Amino acid sequence: MAPGLPFLTRTTSAGATATATAIATSTTNHRTSLSSFPPGSRSASDMSQASRPSRSPQPPLPGVPSETDRTSNPSSKSKTASTGTAVSSQHSSLSAGASRHHVASARPQRRLRSQYPRGSTENHVEYILVASFDIDRGPVMEHQFPVAITGDEHMLAELMLPDQAHVRDQDWTIFFLHKDTSQEEDEQERLAKEERRNRRRRIRDRAKGVIHESDDEDDDDGDLDGDDWDDDMSTDSEPEGGEGPPLIYVLNLVNTKQDKTVKRGAVVKAMAICTRHPFLHIYKPLLLLALEEYFKSPVPETLSMLFHAVNEMDLSLMPKLSLLERHLLQASDNKDLFVEKFEQMVQMRITEDRGEDVTDQPFDASRSPPKPPGIYRSGTKAHIEGGPGQSTTSYAVPRDTHEFESRVMYKGIPIPIKVPVAIMPETVGDFSLIKLIQNFSDAHSKQPQTFTPHPHLTTNGPNTHPIVVLVNALLTQKRVIFLGHNMPSGDVAEAVLAACALASGGVLRGFTRHAFPYTDLTKVDDLLNVPGFIAGVTNPTFENHPEWWDLLCDLPSGKMKISSKIEQAPVTEGLVYFQQQNPAHAALVNGASSGSLSGAAGAGDLTGDVAFMADIAKSIAARAGERVVRAKWRDWVVKFTRIAAAFEESVYGASALYIGSEEHETGTAGVGGHGYVWCDEVSKAKELAGNVTRIEGWRNTRSYYSFIQDVAQLYTVRPLKGLDLHHMHDRLRTQRLSPMQSREVYCAFAKYVHSYDEISLLLSVAPESHAGLFYIALGLFHRDREVRVKTADLLERIAEHEAGQHWWRALSRFEKLAYIRIKREAELAAVEVPPKAVFP
Amino acid sequence: MGNTWSGLSLFFGKLLGSREVRILMLGLDAAGKTTILYKLKIQRDVTTIPTVGFNVETFTFKNIKFNMWDVGGQDKIRPLWRHYYSGTQALIFVVDSADRARIEEARTELHRIINDREMRDCFLLVFANKQDVAGAMKPHEVTEKLQLAKLKDRLWYVQPSVAPAGDGLFEGFEWMSNRIKDLPKK
Repeated sequence: MAPGLPFLTRTTSAGATATATAIATSTTNHRTSLSSFPPGSRSASDMSQASRPSRSPQPPLPGVPSETDRTSNPSSKSKTASTGTAVSSQHSSLSAGASRHHVASARPQRRLRSQYPRGSTENHVEYILVASFDIDRGPVMEHQFPVAITGDEHMLAELMLPDQAHVRDQDWTIFFLHKDTSQEEDEQERLAKEERRNRRRRIRDRAKGVIHESDDEDDDDGDLDGDDWDDDMSTDSEPEGGEGPPLIYVLNLVNTKQDKTVKRGAVVKAMAICTRHPFLHIYKPLLLLALEEYFKSPVPETLSMLFHAVNEMDLSLMPKLSLLERHLLQASDNKDLFVEKFEQMVQMRITEDRGEDVTDQPFDASRSPPKPPGIYRSGTKAHIEGGPGQSTTSYAVPRDTHEFESRVMYKGIPIPIKVPVAIMPETVGDFSLIKLIQNFSDAHSKQPQTFTPHPHLTTNGPNTHPIVVLVNALLTQKRVIFLGHNMPSGDVAEAVLAACALASGGVLRGFTRHAFPYTDLTKVDDLLNVPGFIAGVTNPTFENHPEWWDLLCDLPSGKMKISSKIEQAPVTEGLVYFQQQNPAHAALVNGASSGSLSGAAGAGDLTGDVAFMADIAKSIAARAGERVVRAKWRDWVVKFTRIAAAFEESVYGASALYIGSEEHETGTAGVGGHGYVWCDEVSKAKELAGNVTRIEGWRNTRSYYSFIQDVAQLYTVRPLKGLDLHHMHDRLRTQRLSPMQSREVYCAFAKYVHSYDEISLLLSVAPESHAGLFYIALGLFHRDREVRVKTADLLERIAEHEAGQHWWRALSRFEKLAYIRIKREAELAAVEVPPKAVFP
Repeated sequence: MGNTWSGLSLFFGKLLGSREVRILMLGLDAAGKTTILYKLKIQRDVTTIPTVGFNVETFTFKNIKFNMWDVGGQDKIRPLWRHYYSGTQALIFVVDSADRARIEEARTELHRIINDREMRDCFLLVFANKQDVAGAMKPHEVTEKLQLAKLKDRLWYVQPSVAPAGDGLFEGFEWMSNRIKDLPKK
């Protein structure tokens, strides 16, 4: 929101950030890449009006870009600074960690929205189902609310009563429903109609001066064409890899109650919640209560009570993050990252609740802002002391910004709910990559498993790590089954969901859509019609049918088995070309000689996977946590796609896996170049040789094609289209650059990275887990003075950035001292020389 | 005879190179399949409830390792039985001898299973179960009602049983292990 007010100084910077002095000039250099945000879209300036008093007596009209602000006289600085102070006082109850920044690059140039706005027509939960095991007929559906799901009711009932439900008191399952298109069209028609009606109503209301929080939806028509990353990439209705309508996720609880009074001694009932939210695990406590209730009163009213309770859950104060922001949040362990957005949401709500018509309200500088209802950080002393007494008026910002805290009132009991704020594609439910990895690593580390070689799967030879075999199988679209005999079906489902996330890394898609977290023999005929699937079963009969699967992952034993009936990998053109082009490395292809030394990260580890798995094992042993492991896997998948791009470029001459453009003035060398960075040509050839077979197996799969689509779509919205920041940063990281070469990279960073999104992009290629800003900060010690000054300026912009401030804080004292020294020198120099724009 | 199933015999079984067979136990719902399975496995009468899906247990008897599958019998889930056929060497078909009303249904199901191509080599043991219930059909009556005489080139045997007490189970398995021993070793 801040771009509207670029000259405000930072007012409450505390601790380490205090060394960064406010700047007023950097924003004048507005990057052209932001033109992909159409000027017609309402800029963040109106957001800022909603959240705090505007300094201008005549605030800019919505829709007018904030050019006026940008060109306004820097002399307004003092005035605006005082406004800023007034604002920050409203936040006095907040921890010092949340400081205000009012610099252009500090905040995104778009309005902040709710992920689930108030008054949205979309329900959190679409259906509630109850099924039971009839002693004469088997699984039957008992009730459905609010209406019956069309389709095979019996099939649903079977899924709700997993195999061996009779041997355990309680079991969870997860399965997905694919709505067929005709229904979907009806649905869209209905939604569109509703939307039109709402819009008419809002326009009418606006004429009367009533502002709705969901007003921003009105603009969707105007700025549909690539408004920002949000609209294209992160709405829940986003088509998953363009493969069809969104899935419905079903969380199901089954209970078996021994009951001597009934025939055959037991009652088995199951209740399921159907939602489009991938975070379906939050409903677990509610299903437990509601199914218990249903045993007492098996009537539709029990379903409707749950339905209404969950749909009244308020998530409207959860801010919507852009794709980049979600990456940053996911990769970071920082509990304060983007806390500002939560505060802004609350500010907007407070203003709204006061009923002020913010758009027309001129700001009166003399009037002190009315004391707002308290905002507290959840779990803080202020929250606990002040919260309960004024619970109706106070708002809480989550104690960890990765989770939004809300609650559901069920039968008068408040059930606390935590919703993940940043969800990547293909992340469904609650699972643990660590658990999955350990499950198949422990047995392997004791006694390495020997696989029958398959070019797509055993990329490190017969002793390839099982987890790598699994990922290879998923990438090359094999039929994968997780078998958990005598395990709760919920555990099996969890392994399937984890496997999807593992192979996706939040980057690739098409796994969850073909996942069957829990399935059984009743679905086997349909399952076999799916080319490439990931299924969870508990019935060991699947093991006796190797014609049904390519890779069987046995959870209890931690062993994997490649099917004796797996289709052999064809010899592809790419493989032949590669061998012709690289005769020296031709023999390495096919894992023939690679990695046969088990466990040793020696010369045999062409893919680097042995070393990678060892690193993962080390992280897990060091209790690094789920987020770290997910981030590492994400890096692995990103690396795989980049290697695949390099492979295609070298073998086929072109690749759709990377889109760059020549539009940037690439006069400066060092700015050009893209893709994965190797330290030399030999290591490149070796790594490609190790990957040839699985890359060739990946081409022509669903995840490959949807990735190409995503790359193209992302290109239309991404900042700095002509530059590959990742490539540039990797060069600093992995290559031995001459001072001239590194100078070019540093200068390019300083020249091009300005806006909020550009900085976000830079942060995303320099994650905290990979030394953060270390390689960028090295520019502070470059022998060229210009590089040092420009790097200091870049770091200053990063420090002002909503997320970058945390990266800045992680810099060492040594680096910060260097920064201060360079800044001071630059100031002294500026006194002597008449002031000039800092950035050429 | 109880110790036949003990860990010691399992140990010697391995030592002497015991064979392993997969047995499929089917029958209409509530015939007593699960009770038979657990009586054999843990020599105890367990209270069973309807099987959702299947049960599978492994135990050793007379040096033969039995991998025994018990699959739920409700009519809607009977089409799933066929997925358990491949690799099965023996079929145990359990009949509720007191359920005269459904003996026809049982016959139809039995013949459907036994005529499947994948089941052509397996032999058949029928437990005429629930002999303790008054008015239960005797083994010869069950044989007749199931029209077993119609089966050609098939080894079959009908064994009267009372599963909770364990009566007849041992005898049935005695017959079966002898047939298995007659089989040529793989």
